[in-house]
Amino acid sequence: MIEMLYREALNRAIDECMAADPNVVMLGEDVGLYGGSYRVSEGLVSKYGEKRLIDTPIAELSIVGNAVGMAIGGLRPIAEIMTANFSLLAFDQIINHMSKYRYMSAGKITLPMVVRFPQGVSKQLAAQHSESYEQMLSAVPGMHVFAAGDPHYAYHALKKAILMDDPVVFIEHELLYNKKGEVDFDAEVDPFKARIVKEGNDVTIVSYLKMVDDVMAAVPEIEERTGKKCEVIDLQSLNPIDTGTLKTSIEKTGRLVVVEEDHKMGGYGAQIVSWAAESLFYALDAAPLRIAGENVPIPYNRQLELASIPTPDKIAAKIIQWGADNGL
Amino acid sequence: MAYEIVMPQLSDSMEEGKLISWKVKPGDQVKVGDVIAEVESDKAIMEVQSFKEGTVKELRVQEGQSVPVGTVIAVIEPTGSITSEESGVRSEERAKPAASNEQLGTRNEEPKEEPQKTTQPSTPKSSNDKEAQRAVQTTNDSHSILDQILGFNETPPSIQNPGEATGVASPKARALAAQYGLDIEALQEEGKLPTPAHEADVKRYYYRRYFTAKALKLLHEYGLSPELFPVGKKHSEKEILAYIAEHEIPKPEPLSPMRKAIIATVTQAQQKPVYHIYDAIDATLLKAHESERYTLTVWLLKLFAEAMMRHEDFRKTLSGDAMQLWPNASIALAMADGEALYMPVFRDLNRKSVAQIADELAAMKEKVKTGRVTPEDLKGSTFGISNLGMTGIERFDAMINAQDCGIAAVGSETGGKISVTLTLDHRIVNGLQGAQFMQTLKELAKEKTLFKT
Repeated sequence: MIEMLYREALNRAIDECMAADPNVVMLGEDVGLYGGSYRVSEGLVSKYGEKRLIDTPIAELSIVGNAVGMAIGGLRPIAEIMTANFSLLAFDQIINHMSKYRYMSAGKITLPMVVRFPQGVSKQLAAQHSESYEQMLSAVPGMHVFAAGDPHYAYHALKKAILMDDPVVFIEHELLYNKKGEVDFDAEVDPFKARIVKEGNDVTIVSYLKMVDDVMAAVPEIEERTGKKCEVIDLQSLNPIDTGTLKTSIEKTGRLVVVEEDHKMGGYGAQIVSWAAESLFYALDAAPLRIAGENVPIPYNRQLELASIPTPDKIAAKIIQWGADNGL
Repeated sequence: MAYEIVMPQLSDSMEEGKLISWKVKPGDQVKVGDVIAEVESDKAIMEVQSFKEGTVKELRVQEGQSVPVGTVIAVIEPTGSITSEESGVRSEERAKPAASNEQLGTRNEEPKEEPQKTTQPSTPKSSNDKEAQRAVQTTNDSHSILDQILGFNETPPSIQNPGEATGVASPKARALAAQYGLDIEALQEEGKLPTPAHEADVKRYYYRRYFTAKALKLLHEYGLSPELFPVGKKHSEKEILAYIAEHEIPKPEPLSPMRKAIIATVTQAQQKPVYHIYDAIDATLLKAHESERYTLTVWLLKLFAEAMMRHEDFRKTLSGDAMQLWPNASIALAMADGEALYMPVFRDLNRKSVAQIADELAAMKEKVKTGRVTPEDLKGSTFGISNLGMTGIERFDAMINAQDCGIAAVGSETGGKISVTLTLDHRIVNGLQGAQFMQTLKELAKEKTLFKT
């Protein structure tokens, strides 16, 4: 058990995989000499050389396209996209190629590759650098989507993603890179399992990435004001969803809240609510609540930026009000 | 600012306290030093006082409930400390409970209303509705104890719009109602269920309807769920008792603070490196001087105190890396009253007359009987005595209390002798020192000068 930063946990996972298997390579903008925009690949180029840490031109389609080719050829590439917003340029490779080859080749071709990128609202990076795309990516069959909310999961899930023969989109959050947390290297972690961050009997609050921290910051006030106990779940695997953990929790509490940073319209949380309504209707003791971002491009102004996404204060106020309206 | 009274920490080891009884009720005026409540810590019952003058606004803990140290147990509105306009309005309301409609109107218009957690039903639309609401309200009051038993730790939501929009209920409430064979819509029309109805409302109604109050209390005591019993018929206490006997269900008894403290102390004692010395002292003089006032225990305290003054090792305690030598002889005496076991300390016995010791012992007996032993009463000893002589036990050995270096187990008189077993902590007192102490005890028991009153 060691306390380390989120970015250090990711770095360690890549480092260990590269040391263990010469087929593991990493490519992206500034991943080599510069050590990565968020220092995730810091120090690796001096250890493994420029052939395994490949600095690419600013051309996202070619980064993922090359990775797809490498994977077909037998390597285990990790493609880094500097931010989710730029991944749109690579969507053709991700959706049309990476996710489909195994199916279209009747399983003859596997793509043991990972596409990593940070996403979400950081601090004043404006509309074109603040987007979240888990909703679009989770809608694509043929690949897994992981979202790392803490260093422990970041380390284990990235390692498992690199070792896996299926393609994985690995989502990070820009504000989490300097988050500290305990990492137990020896733990056996199933990357497809959700994590119960805090147990409680009265309300299930489902979230992922940075919103888990914001929910945890809101919980003391919610519990003090309502006198009820919240169960907080970090989904971690967005596709597939660990419905078993959700089911056990919702059947216990009868109440579901989903908190996401992304715009509410068509957001990922809608999938969780729709699944709960379909599968657990008679376990629900109140209409589920979705807390999400506003339907606006993320503003640059700091006050407007915060107004456009959930914050601990807003999360607490909304859950308390919803609880009062719904017999909590 | 409201003045909050918290669960006090009455001893170093105290983590939670049990509220034994309230001495005030909401609305009472209190002065500085007035007793607000009685609270039980590990071993003692203490009084909690108010440090401010004011009006009791709220009692947040039920009698019998245990809460962690630091939890707010009561709120007092200090006299003449109204700081905000809002509190001004509130205290005025309290002063004039029969407020006129005009005043009520003003209050309703106030923008800053408390969040909807009040038990007050919203303005009724017709007299019928009013009655329905009152009926529900009364039921709620008489059953508030059941709410506690069932874990509905909140006042049930009032029925907001009786008669309107019936049939509105959560899916879980519906599923439960179907299982219980209840008609949600009909019950809502009768005002027996709120709209919308939730799981807790349906359970509350069903449990009250189909279980007697005694049955529910029993289920609560045994930690059993009412769901274990078939729906559709009324369940009595008798039936629950039969179930308990048939399924061999043990009754869980939460450890009292007293029991927890005893467990901690004896567990700690068990880990000490102890040895025993077995012998007996002459009973002639002790028995000859025994009277209603000067009991055998009084003389034993006197005898042991004298011996402790002659053997300084018995006035030592171990504190971290150092030994502490105490100037006077202070003895912890085992005193029991039912489950309650105390080791109250009789301090500086070498400086006290037999009469003083007798008075202190009598006073302490009264404290033990009424559970009023304070944490202060349990501090400061270096040695202990446990006397079971009055029970006819000839010989036994005892466990060392807290930081003491040893304890003497005193048995009954047989053949002119009283057995004494010393249990000693070898880190503080070695075998030879223990034997010498025993020798002194035997000599002192025969010294007439000791028995002067």
